[in-house]
Amino acid sequence: MIGFLSRILEFFGYVSAGISGALRLDPRVFDIVERYPESGWVVLTIAILGGASLLLGQSVILFVNRVRPVRFALTLLLNGIVFAVGLALWAGAIWLVGRWLLPEDPKFTIVLRLVALGAAPYTWGFLVLMPYAGAFIARVLSVWSFLVVLAVVAFEYNTGFWLAMAVTGLGWLLITLLGATVGRPFTALRKWLKKLIAGSDLDMRVQDILLEYMEQPESPTSKGKPV
Amino acid sequence: MINIISLMFTGIIVLVIITAVSAPFESLGWWAGWYGEKEAPPEEEENAAQQAAAPAPAEHYLLYLSGIGAITDESIPEEEIRWLDALNQRTPGALLVTNVFPYSVTNVGLTAQRATAWLWRRLEKRRLKNPMAVGALLINLRNVFQVAVSADQRYGPIFNLGVAKATVQALKARGYVVGSGAPVTILGWSGGGQIALGSATFLKSMLKCPLRIISLGGVMANDPGLGSIEHLYHLYGDKDPIQAVGAKMYPGRWKLFPQSDWNRALEEGKITFKLLGPLTHNGKGNYFDWETIGPDGNSCADIALNAVTDVLANAGLLAASPQAIEPNQPADSQPA
Repeated sequence: MIGFLSRILEFFGYVSAGISGALRLDPRVFDIVERYPESGWVVLTIAILGGASLLLGQSVILFVNRVRPVRFALTLLLNGIVFAVGLALWAGAIWLVGRWLLPEDPKFTIVLRLVALGAAPYTWGFLVLMPYAGAFIARVLSVWSFLVVLAVVAFEYNTGFWLAMAVTGLGWLLITLLGATVGRPFTALRKWLKKLIAGSDLDMRVQDILLEYMEQPESPTSKGKPV
Repeated sequence: MINIISLMFTGIIVLVIITAVSAPFESLGWWAGWYGEKEAPPEEEENAAQQAAAPAPAEHYLLYLSGIGAITDESIPEEEIRWLDALNQRTPGALLVTNVFPYSVTNVGLTAQRATAWLWRRLEKRRLKNPMAVGALLINLRNVFQVAVSADQRYGPIFNLGVAKATVQALKARGYVVGSGAPVTILGWSGGGQIALGSATFLKSMLKCPLRIISLGGVMANDPGLGSIEHLYHLYGDKDPIQAVGAKMYPGRWKLFPQSDWNRALEEGKITFKLLGPLTHNGKGNYFDWETIGPDGNSCADIALNAVTDVLANAGLLAASPQAIEPNQPADSQPA
């Protein structure tokens, strides 16, 4: 039992080191992730944590739609997994663009592990909850995440800033195009899964509360419960 | 020694972050029904008995929302209590309502029905012994983030709705008849200014009456509530840097955005700034200080009281007024 616990602690030690190294854009961390396939579990955990934490930061949408606590926790986990899948798709697009644009041809699994480090800044996504500063923090984390991906691409393809930017940007463009065309069934599947787990369409926005109560202050609809 | 200082510094940063991140949960949890219905304001039917026992309606209702030092609606700094007594005596025809705790979406004070009530009780005792106790700053820290919640477009509608509902219940309990058209003025001190503005968005349609806000050194954001009020009077001292924070921190109040709620209200002449002289936000010479004498020979507390009663008299909400406040002073009278 103690051995198991110490292995768990050791694992989360690696996760923590991976996050802080990625945040510092530390090439030593990129090197370890590149060379050791075992680091895949660590970066997968970082990606899931990043996705879950980011949704926690943006959880006002879950609260506004009155998602119950257990479903709330499950939705955070689902978002972590969906976020990790999204990063994997981006990694695939970067790998394809890289093959076409650059002489280096790394294995897909290496690019996958490295791009997943882009989730590291989002492990601080819960800070988006902060009133006033939250929106600004969300933007900082997005830029930081993009910088991490840019750094890993530059590292892996041994290239400069502009080429790394071109590969990363074209990869993102490819994902966006695919998402809007052949990826539509997957988007629908993600929506359906979210609805299934959250138990709500998540279609109510906080501005709807304003409109609802300003128009009919004495008779809120079933959506506007508290009185 | 350096280690202790850095440990303390880190501790303070962590405390501020935890307080900030957890600030919206009370409002969000209330809306989502996570915390049950007990803490929510009572239904209209449940309030029927209270209504029957309510006093006769007054001509004008004056609701006071305290600053971020409040622990409950009653547990507010001693100097404010004395100031409110004087205000009550100087506002004939107006009924002063003080039983809304503006830093809770459910109108539940910090020392009542909360898991953390023990902490606030201890801090309350400490503050009674020493009003400047460092630990008591935790109360201000907790409440200042509720002001930020009220001003945040993501959470504000929920928080402000809760405060508006508590306000309606408090007014009804004092005999207010919804739909009677009896005017309501909210006097918000410091953070209470923003919460008055935020809740006004809902109060206008809930009360169906002329609604005014008097901000006493209020820290206010660019809030859609401005569209729901007749007028906002901002009373401030020129030695009060805190009230100016809202104008700097919230981009909607910058001149750069002429279409913001704040700037449109300014353009429409709905906001009046009144400089009260060299009054401060806290400490010696603050708005509630009876000891410090201002340049006109009155105490600072008197200066603030006169300004409030002047606003009310000028709006025709009091029988008599010693002086008149000039409405809509030129823009150059605005604080920086």
